[in-house]
Amino acid sequence: MAKIELLSPAGDLERLKVTLLYGADAVYIGGEKYSLRANATNFTLENIKQACDFAHKLNKKVYLTLNIVFHNEDMEGVEEYIQQVVMAGIDAFIVSDPFIISYIKTNFPNVEVHLSTQNSTSNYKAVEYFKNEGVKRVVLAREVQLEDMKEIIKRTGIDIEIFIHGAMCTCFSGRCALSNYVTNRDANRGGCSQVCRFAFKTTEEKDFTMASKDLNLSKYIGQIIESGIKSLKVEGRMRSLYYLATVIGTYREIIDSYYNNNLSEEKMSLLEQRLNKVANREVSSQYLMKEADHTDQYYSGRQELSNQDYLGLITGYDYQNNCIILIERNFFSPGDQTEIFTPSGETYQYTIDKIYDENMNELDVACHPEEVLKLKFQKQLPPYSMIRLISKANNKE
Amino acid sequence: MKLLVEQSNKDIIDADGLILALKGFSVQSEVTYTKEEIKDIIEKNPQKEIFISINKNIFNKEIEALKQELLYLDNLNIKGIFFYDLAILQLKKELNLKTDLVWNQTHMVNNYKTCNYYFNKGVKYALLSKEITLEEILEIVAKTSIISMVEVLSMPSVAFSKRRLITNYYKDLNKSSSKTLDIEEKIINQKYQLIEDENGTSFFLKSITNGTSIIKNLFDNNVPYIIMREYGINHSLFKEIVDDTKEYIKGNCQNIKYLEKYKKLGQDTNFFFKKTIYKVRKNG
Repeated sequence: MAKIELLSPAGDLERLKVTLLYGADAVYIGGEKYSLRANATNFTLENIKQACDFAHKLNKKVYLTLNIVFHNEDMEGVEEYIQQVVMAGIDAFIVSDPFIISYIKTNFPNVEVHLSTQNSTSNYKAVEYFKNEGVKRVVLAREVQLEDMKEIIKRTGIDIEIFIHGAMCTCFSGRCALSNYVTNRDANRGGCSQVCRFAFKTTEEKDFTMASKDLNLSKYIGQIIESGIKSLKVEGRMRSLYYLATVIGTYREIIDSYYNNNLSEEKMSLLEQRLNKVANREVSSQYLMKEADHTDQYYSGRQELSNQDYLGLITGYDYQNNCIILIERNFFSPGDQTEIFTPSGETYQYTIDKIYDENMNELDVACHPEEVLKLKFQKQLPPYSMIRLISKANNKE
Repeated sequence: MKLLVEQSNKDIIDADGLILALKGFSVQSEVTYTKEEIKDIIEKNPQKEIFISINKNIFNKEIEALKQELLYLDNLNIKGIFFYDLAILQLKKELNLKTDLVWNQTHMVNNYKTCNYYFNKGVKYALLSKEITLEEILEIVAKTSIISMVEVLSMPSVAFSKRRLITNYYKDLNKSSSKTLDIEEKIINQKYQLIEDENGTSFFLKSITNGTSIIKNLFDNNVPYIIMREYGINHSLFKEIVDDTKEYIKGNCQNIKYLEKYKKLGQDTNFFFKKTIYKVRKNG
């Protein structure tokens, strides 16, 4: 049985490299046009070529989102753009508009088309329709339950991709224009202003809110793998390097451990804790095992939690002084218990001792984000290794 | 140009055609009809064009029942079925249904190339999105073979969720729930009405889109159908609007008094003259 794909988001070339190094099998990106994250950094054609070259050298894949709901004006130039992206080496397009699907399959039959979740495809007959149109893979609606996914796979034989982690919409994808009406920003062309996270007045004493908790299906990965699903997608093209490294690295470990038959309860518990540490909202399994209910959403206006566990990005090694070099992200001080983690999955428990600036002057604390610092460490670490907080010295927190 | 209406009242009024929401398979409609009720209406109103709305997101367990409904409806004199889910287009092909379809993916019917795509797949009509401009509408009409429909009067549906959002809200308040809930956005004080049923929660903007002023433009540009929806409008007022609009169209949209009279419905022309944006800053 082919191993399930772990599919990561990437908002720019650096994130793409990090997620592939941390274990993603494929990455989805947005171009400068036609993607549902119009306000992400997004990839130029040259970036797309570099991304494909980098991924292909690792035997991994890059998919481009072309999943806006097109207006007349958006159709201008799209055919030429598709051709250019194909030339850049893209492995698949993620599309919602059937005209675009038809165009790609007619002109570039060897390039895969994946149906975007923007279509909210939720049954086997709709999947059959798109299979007949040449779609290789369908990203199902987030409202579909696991049992229905199995039936869709059984009846259609198509490749199915599902979201396993990240933010959720309150409404069906593609069936929400709240952003258009409240803020004049077009949700279906990448301008969603997340009105479903606003609080609304009612005649009751408490505001009405409808924001969904985030999705986290880590504890169901085994069942999902056994169901025959082909790809596990993580949400978040605008997320940080640290978030992506942690989430992708953790899911890599869960998936590999499952296949290697060594995903013990203890290990799973540790991995879940790691995911929880980068979560900035509460999580639930949403629709996977049951209809989403009152436990899967928020009832207050503020949902985001700040996360200050990311202490630094390791950028090099000072052989003369036996120090790792890092760029500080959040406050830390001597005595803090930390964990250094690398793209290959190695981790090192590390207690902060002396902190140095880049000229080896000793500091009392690290308190200037973006400052270059050094910490004594016995060996050089691979690029994009990071350091996270486990606990503050003397349990200050 | 023909006028189709979706009523919130089963007392049939005098439009060219009716949109009837099929019970169990439609959302964002205040009144739904069983297939037997639909048959009865068709028999009693042979001169009217009857369209059926089947616009919910379909799940596996509903497919067999949906097939049976479609087969039953195919034997009635139905002009077309408004569909959201592509399962319906697939089933039309598989079951060899003769009833025509109306592409009705609420916020997605936004360009002429995709309209042409659906036309080539055997879809005869398209209800254009409410979130595009009049200029975009007219370009679509000019460049497609599909028969276009434009919603000119309604309290517009703006979103749909599978979640029971009203039930959840009242559960949190520890109060008994309600079928509807009015909410108000706090910055621009825009009001919305939510309706919950067994399929989920529908959102409506609590303001009437008044497109009476663009009907002449649509007429002059050969738009074949316009649509008015009763939800949120007083029944007798709605009847009056429908009667007057029919007369207005019959007079080639020349009667200025019609325009003056319906200024009273307000000046909200929704997106007919307002373009949405989607990029709020330049890439840096």
